Amino acid sequence: MSHPIIRLEKVHFSYEIERQEPIKALNGVDLEVRDGEYLVILGHNGSGKSTLAKHLNALLAPTEGDVWVRDWNTRETQHMRDIRTTVGMVFQTPDNQIVATIVEEDVAFGPENLGLPHDEIVRRVDWALEQVGMTEFRHRAPHLLSGGQKQRVCIAGMLAMRPDVLVLDESTAMLDPIGRKDVLSIAQRLNRQEGVTIVAITHFMEEAIHADRVVIMENGRIEMEGTPREVFSQVERLRELQMDVPPITRLALALHERHPDFPAVALTIDEFVDAFRKRVTPGRTTSHLSNSDSQTPHSGETVISMQDVGHYYMLDTPLEVKAVEHVNIDLHRDEVLGIIGHTGSGKSTIIQHMNALLKPHEGVVQVFGEDTTANETDIRAIRRRVGLAFQHPEIQLFERFVGDDVAYGPRNLGLPKEEVRERVREAMEAVGLGFEEFKDRMTFSLSGGEKRRAALAGILALRPEVLVLDEPTAGLDPVGRRQLLELIHRWHEKGITLVMVSHNMEELAEMAGRLYVVANGTTLMNGTAREIFSQVDALQAQGLDAPTVTLALHRLADEGLISREQASLYTVEAAAEFLGGMLNGKL
Amino acid sequence: MENFELLRNVTIGQYIPTGSVIHRLDPRAKLLAASFLILAISFASSILANIIFLIVILIITRISRIDVKYLLRGFILGLPILIFIFVMQFLFMGRAEPAGYVFFEWGWFRITQRSLYIMALSGLRLLSFVFLTSLITMTSTTTELTHGVEQLLRPFRRVRVPSHELALILMIALRFVPTLAEEMENIMKAQASRGADIGTGRMWRPDKAAKAYLPLIVPLFLNAFRRAEDLVWAMEARGYVGGEGRTNFIQLKSRGIDYVVVIAAFLFMIFMMVFPWPSISPILRQIGFMG
Repeated sequence: MSHPIIRLEKVHFSYEIERQEPIKALNGVDLEVRDGEYLVILGHNGSGKSTLAKHLNALLAPTEGDVWVRDWNTRETQHMRDIRTTVGMVFQTPDNQIVATIVEEDVAFGPENLGLPHDEIVRRVDWALEQVGMTEFRHRAPHLLSGGQKQRVCIAGMLAMRPDVLVLDESTAMLDPIGRKDVLSIAQRLNRQEGVTIVAITHFMEEAIHADRVVIMENGRIEMEGTPREVFSQVERLRELQMDVPPITRLALALHERHPDFPAVALTIDEFVDAFRKRVTPGRTTSHLSNSDSQTPHSGETVISMQDVGHYYMLDTPLEVKAVEHVNIDLHRDEVLGIIGHTGSGKSTIIQHMNALLKPHEGVVQVFGEDTTANETDIRAIRRRVGLAFQHPEIQLFERFVGDDVAYGPRNLGLPKEEVRERVREAMEAVGLGFEEFKDRMTFSLSGGEKRRAALAGILALRPEVLVLDEPTAGLDPVGRRQLLELIHRWHEKGITLVMVSHNMEELAEMAGRLYVVANGTTLMNGTAREIFSQVDALQAQGLDAPTVTLALHRLADEGLISREQASLYTVEAAAEFLGGMLNGKL
Repeated sequence: MENFELLRNVTIGQYIPTGSVIHRLDPRAKLLAASFLILAISFASSILANIIFLIVILIITRISRIDVKYLLRGFILGLPILIFIFVMQFLFMGRAEPAGYVFFEWGWFRITQRSLYIMALSGLRLLSFVFLTSLITMTSTTTELTHGVEQLLRPFRRVRVPSHELALILMIALRFVPTLAEEMENIMKAQASRGADIGTGRMWRPDKAAKAYLPLIVPLFLNAFRRAEDLVWAMEARGYVGGEGRTNFIQLKSRGIDYVVVIAAFLFMIFMMVFPWPSISPILRQIGFMG
């Protein structure tokens, strides 16, 4: 871990746009990537981190300054092939990186390009698939794999070129927690066992914990650099850079503020539990549980009820599959209902029944008391009253101007011009895009977070009574995530009943009063957030996790430091309050 | 009600793995033999020859262990074209000479022996054509086909036929069909949730119809372009610089039977071309059509 394998010297880069000022993306970056290290580059969207990544294997050449890969300057085109085989890169969206229709052939694409002999290609394909644990899927068609599996195929495709450095350019951003975990553990193992240098670019702080070195970027510059511990201990500085600290670190800090003796930085649950154990003696669980459930379940009228619902895809064809069965869900007016489950669990199928996009093949779905399969039911009225936002709703944008796109729904209702305008204004204000400022903006010039909000405005403009959100924050950086959650909270306060589908436990813990757990195509558990999160074992059996805070408290309970009942807290604030009380009570 | 499942009713291009002899043929042999058969059918202008040809195809189907019902399902896709051709021939072929026996005449419109004959012939031809192409896709995977096309075209590289590039384009197109179909489905559902009325309304007014489809087509295209851009980055990162100097992971191997099949198809084609097929008139005369 000494000799730099990649060197960046005063690198500047601007994107040239026709008839416009060039956009500066990198602003004098000096960076060395050392042989064998695990380097994480953090930064939110627009910080220049992806532009930086593309400089590492000569996909982009700097406008000013130099990038050296080993002894080759990336400007020299004659070394392009050497550079590309030295530095491999995996991108964000797995679907857009797969070329072939069969997994193993896709992995072979790189070695084929290098003109390797057939036997060598076969050897490398076998090895690469083994490394990412995809050998048993080698003859599959990629579109039949999950996102995480596809990304593993992409990694194998890079590994087959035998690179010394593997750059992961936000490769986990589009994946669900299981896929993310898989990709991370593969990266860690490659680094440790195969000696592959890893450069991981991400906006998830948790992914930096196991790194050798962390670099934080902002405005095309490197703002912070150091070991994870050094970086995460500078909480104030991180807040200025709008970076999100991992929950366990936040908990440690919150405890430190209440009890200065407690260390301000903890990177893992183990570390946190150790620190706590040293400061409290077992069995002395005197402190009472002060915090009770702040969000009690609502008992308003039932607006959507699903009883014993089953649905098939490709019905009446040889490829028929049952997507969901025995689904039972009740949604009450004014509540925030959370649905947890990972990709493929059937949650998307379930929510599409809520606005009659899908109709049950078994059981009954009633929306506002009307059976969605009945002939006399007005489906369009249901769709108007129940808004549904799909994952990545920004793909539905199609108009040139933001205002027109938001107006699409109200215009479909055949409303008069004035009314349409009023609704567009209201919807745009509700997502924090000022009407006057944004209505004539070009839709496709918006940032990722703004597009997401414009798309949601298009649904709010129908003035739905119920809003179903499928993974509303997926793919957003921490800043965008925070903004959107605040907006959603506000919509709820204005009286919209919400259904939120997520695999982010922290988010659901914060937002939802009642939760359903969906697994293997059926509703498995339901209850208040606290009831659900206290069943850590049952959740983990489904490949789901409780919020980090709950996991940490459960570890404390395992050690007999607190009681089981006390371990069911799930927010940082509540847990810090309770644990802080314990520490201070002991002193 | 609307159905958003786009791939549910398409059977053409579906691989049916029965593991038969036909499945295990070298895709090059399969493509070459099929080309000979298609040539044969294009030249056979006798009903009898076409019937024999259809029987041959049904025998191949049996050997492939594929249900004839599947083949017929694929034919449904070709049905609109067939009906269109029939209507056109019914209306206009009556004037083709020599007309032969005239069954019916009303002003300019007439039905003759010749026009019925042509209709029957084109119907049989289309049927054979659809069956043959479906058979190929049902017995070969998409990668087999792309590799087959690439290798068959390779000799034409000297005359600047970009065989590798064509195969790559074919492969990427096939690769993204399911992805884009899924995306289209999502966009349809998203717009339907915003009150869009897709597939109904005034579809007979082309301007209105086009406008109704814009909310689907614009996002689909924009996304396809974004995907294409990503794909270019990914291919470059994996060292792609064109077909020059590339090697192949998949190595197609021909066995004796592949040569047998190709030669048999070739001989069959020659036979179909040179055999003195009886003209239709004597047969008709025999069954007493013409006095």
